[in-house]
Amino acid sequence: MWKSLPLLAALLAVAACASPQAATPAAQQSASSSLQHNAESLQAKLRRTPQDAAAWAQLGATHVELARVTFDPQHYSRAERALTESLRLKPEGNGDAFIGRGALANAKHDFAAARDWGQRAVTALPDNASAQGVLVDALTQLGDDAGASVALQRMLDLRPGVASFTRAAYHFELHGRVDEAREALNRALESASSEAERDFCRFQLDELKGRTNEEALEVYRGLVAKAPSPDYLVKYGKALDKAGKPAEARAQFDLALQQLRALGGDDLTAALIAADHGDPAEALRFAEKEWAKRQSVFTADALSWALHVNKRSAEALQYSDKAVALGWRDPEVLRHREAILGSLR
Amino acid sequence: MPTSKKQRLRRGAIAAVVVAAAAAIPAAQASSHREAPLIAADPAVDNTDVYAFTSPDRPDTVTLIANWFGLQEPNGGPNFYPWATDARYDLNIDADGDALPDKTFRFTFTTDDRRGGKSPTFLYNNGPVTSINDENLLFRQNYNLELIEGNKTTTLVRNGRAAPSNTGPASFPNFGTIRDQATSKLPGGGQVYVGPSEDSFFLDLRVFDLLYGGNLKEVNQDTLMGYNVNTIAIQVPKTMLALKGDPKRNPVIGVWSDTEKRTLKLEPGKATPQGDFVQVSRLGNPLVNEVVASAPIKDAFNALQPVNDAKVQALLDRVNDPELARLIQQIYGIPAPKTPRADLVEIFLTGITTKAGGPIKADLNSQLNNADVDPKKFQPSEMLRLNMGVPVAKDPNRLGVLAGDLQGFPNGRRLTDDVVDIEIQAVVGAALTGKLVPALAKGDRVDKNDVRFGDKFPYVGLPRNRAVNSN
Repeated sequence: MWKSLPLLAALLAVAACASPQAATPAAQQSASSSLQHNAESLQAKLRRTPQDAAAWAQLGATHVELARVTFDPQHYSRAERALTESLRLKPEGNGDAFIGRGALANAKHDFAAARDWGQRAVTALPDNASAQGVLVDALTQLGDDAGASVALQRMLDLRPGVASFTRAAYHFELHGRVDEAREALNRALESASSEAERDFCRFQLDELKGRTNEEALEVYRGLVAKAPSPDYLVKYGKALDKAGKPAEARAQFDLALQQLRALGGDDLTAALIAADHGDPAEALRFAEKEWAKRQSVFTADALSWALHVNKRSAEALQYSDKAVALGWRDPEVLRHREAILGSLR
Repeated sequence: MPTSKKQRLRRGAIAAVVVAAAAAIPAAQASSHREAPLIAADPAVDNTDVYAFTSPDRPDTVTLIANWFGLQEPNGGPNFYPWATDARYDLNIDADGDALPDKTFRFTFTTDDRRGGKSPTFLYNNGPVTSINDENLLFRQNYNLELIEGNKTTTLVRNGRAAPSNTGPASFPNFGTIRDQATSKLPGGGQVYVGPSEDSFFLDLRVFDLLYGGNLKEVNQDTLMGYNVNTIAIQVPKTMLALKGDPKRNPVIGVWSDTEKRTLKLEPGKATPQGDFVQVSRLGNPLVNEVVASAPIKDAFNALQPVNDAKVQALLDRVNDPELARLIQQIYGIPAPKTPRADLVEIFLTGITTKAGGPIKADLNSQLNNADVDPKKFQPSEMLRLNMGVPVAKDPNRLGVLAGDLQGFPNGRRLTDDVVDIEIQAVVGAALTGKLVPALAKGDRVDKNDVRFGDKFPYVGLPRNRAVNSN
């Protein structure tokens, strides 16, 4: 997976030369500027005192955040280097570095590793909200809802703020409590102190509200232009499909699948795309592989849908039941469920 | 903002190019789960400094100043630096020494955002602002000030106007006027200012990196020069703060500030997802995190109430055996004083007194020296302690008590006290020996603030209005 990163960086660099606005629009720059500023002051600090393990760890965590905001994968390798240096200087009890490692593992969708780093971080820094946050993200994706809830409540009580409120919103959404999710996002927006944070909250509020297809086309086209990630490509493809442009939609799905095949690692999105737009057998292979790794509502939904498109709807139903067991009422998940139930009638 | 069709088309074309190019090469991340911000700072509720001193021009009063939201760059639009509207900003007074607040001055904020409406704009102000009610000022914040004494709550200010962020010389040709208008009188005498100011703290922030990193050669730059903070300054009669209203018999008060935010409960079945207020930040003595607390207890300390300080062994251990003293011994060969450091316990946890069995032979600023305090109820705790009875120094010394100027830190804290140098000296034992350690005499070599402080309330400098890097 990491081998592909320099190539993508080169691509983004080319895109940036061809059209600076596309790769680094002004809004994007301002969104990342406070994080960029943090990274620069940490680098300056480390030039004076290169033995500062905590500063290396903070630099690593800052690069993980920058990767999330700028979509520039170079930040992942910078994070990796800074965290490695921090742990070299201080291998034991280095809570800040454990947090950074956990955040990086979550970003790479290696949730089991992220959980382990999160637990080490909590042991080293029992009252730190970010340590709990790493654990919340990992446990949510691994399907440990009870564990994730405990860690999230602890995180909220330690630091009611953007990081904990946005995670609470996701928790509510996965439990079908949409009004509370909106409320939590509004509180997150109120606590936000950077443009990047505000952008994230507004984007999620809009997602909750739902978009007209025209809005969806505009928004996802913009996102795909910034970061052709499989997730955004799928959303853009769906909007194109609805707009009566099946050929263009198809191109997005193919592209997303192609990327996912090359990436390896997380097979969830690949399973869903293949189920709708590709080879059913491949979809099932992906879904089963991911389910073997983690039994969450996300993988349950993917497996149910993959079984259904392979004409195994009776088996699919038990997984569909799991996907909605917490109360999750995502439109896609419901669409899958209705089709499964329909075919069993 | 409407986007012209032409622009939209062009953007679409660019997107197509990028997507086409991407087709050849695998993309970066399979970002199918929601990646929320993790390392999210919340500077709006982070305490940076607390000051407490007898007002030099009104010696029957005390001025308390607390700052939040450090490192504000004056050019930080479009939202600049608002107060959090879901937080409580508290200044606490403990005059009887039980480590619980006898009085809390609580500030809460609301936002009056006029940027929507007929002509939506992202601007903070749409033209020069010459008074606090200028219609060009589009982003406004108001506050309520309550005084909480046990179960009794009294509103001292309702809908007070906080001064806005200083968004630049063209927007605020005379910020002094705005600040005067944002200063309110308090019932019973006294006044309050809420708004931005120049950060009065002066130090080389790098001093601790360097001490922890091995040398002190590279200091002498005020790393906070040019930045602003959000300030609450309040001036009240000493009789209002002293135990039994009697500053003659009971001149000592403990002072600390904290911020609380409301958490959120996940359990279902509640009408609204609310929860209790939790303390997210706390500050009494300056630099406690740098000098005393270590990384693992830093988070716990911010949530800890002073009344529980003495129960946290890790905190007591750090005061009694500070890492900094050992580092200085390594670097300078200045022997670290013998542990446990009862002298530092006095400075940080009890106040300087002969009544707690400590080694410093002076009675200066412990609540134990108040005539009406019940010593059995006294609780050691970390707070800034001020003896209001010490007269205003004619010629204040930046090194305060260590240089024989009893009105200065650690007896309260004046804006001009050089707390970095004082604390470094204290850590190597200067309070114990009564002598400054010459090898460290220069400290961080930043001896005063770059801006002159005012001689009347609120004393702090006007907020800067030029970008830090353009200075």
